Amino acid sequence: MTTTTEQEPMVKATITTPTDREIRIERIFNAPRDRVWKAMTDPKLVAQWWGRGNKLVIEKLEVERGGHWRFVEHAPEGVNGFEGRFREVTPPERVVQTFEWDGMPGYVIVETATLEDLGDGRTRFVNVSLFHTTDERDGFLQSGMEGGLNESYAALDRLLAKLG
Amino acid sequence: MVQYSPKLDTAFGALADPTRRGILERLGRSDAGISELAEAFDITLTGIKKHVGVLEAAGLVTTEKIGRVRRCRLGPRRLDDESAWIATYRRMLEGRLNRLGDFLERTREKQ
Repeated sequence: MTTTTEQEPMVKATITTPTDREIRIERIFNAPRDRVWKAMTDPKLVAQWWGRGNKLVIEKLEVERGGHWRFVEHAPEGVNGFEGRFREVTPPERVVQTFEWDGMPGYVIVETATLEDLGDGRTRFVNVSLFHTTDERDGFLQSGMEGGLNESYAALDRLLAKLG
Repeated sequence: MVQYSPKLDTAFGALADPTRRGILERLGRSDAGISELAEAFDITLTGIKKHVGVLEAAGLVTTEKIGRVRRCRLGPRRLDDESAWIATYRRMLEGRLNRLGDFLERTREKQ
């Protein structure tokens, strides 16, 4: 459990931004697809890795079309809630869900994850995150966080401190 | 392996480093020469030039050589809070996948 450096070869993730509204991340997991799927969808397993070492309360994880998920992370700096809904669920190969952080209400990210069985006990995981910004920006500007560059960086630092 | 493609990505990369964020904050107060920045951040001239180069490529900083001194100031690009959120989200996502990979590795040993 301590020899994490040995797994370096598969830790590599490839990140690209097909458009400035999308982030695509690809990575190979050294585990069969069913295990990866289970780790992503079984609340008992999700609780063991999702929360960055902090206590994670899985309030809801309804892995089905239209189902609601909500996780609350209890970090030393404070409590962060994350939630969304499942738009598509096709075990064990594809899930489309929305992602929102309580701290940025109205900013909805649509995550499309696909799991490909590589046939050798490994799984290729690809996630594309699409940022929806239609009207959300207005709501956010009203919160008074707009401003000059330094305020933006201060906001960034706060976000990073909380979430990084 | 992280591949950076244009636009937002260069800004993500530029902002991933605390020293570079510090440089931007410093330049937000006033323009500065390369050696002033090197002193302020206690790193070598070569090191600071590298950081400034990354910021310049992202459009966050511009530089101009005046005599023997290269002056740095904030560039034309401005990041809004949304960009900050996207950058943060991206870091979270990467971290999450790393932890999932570690978890799968750990639990494999148990099986």
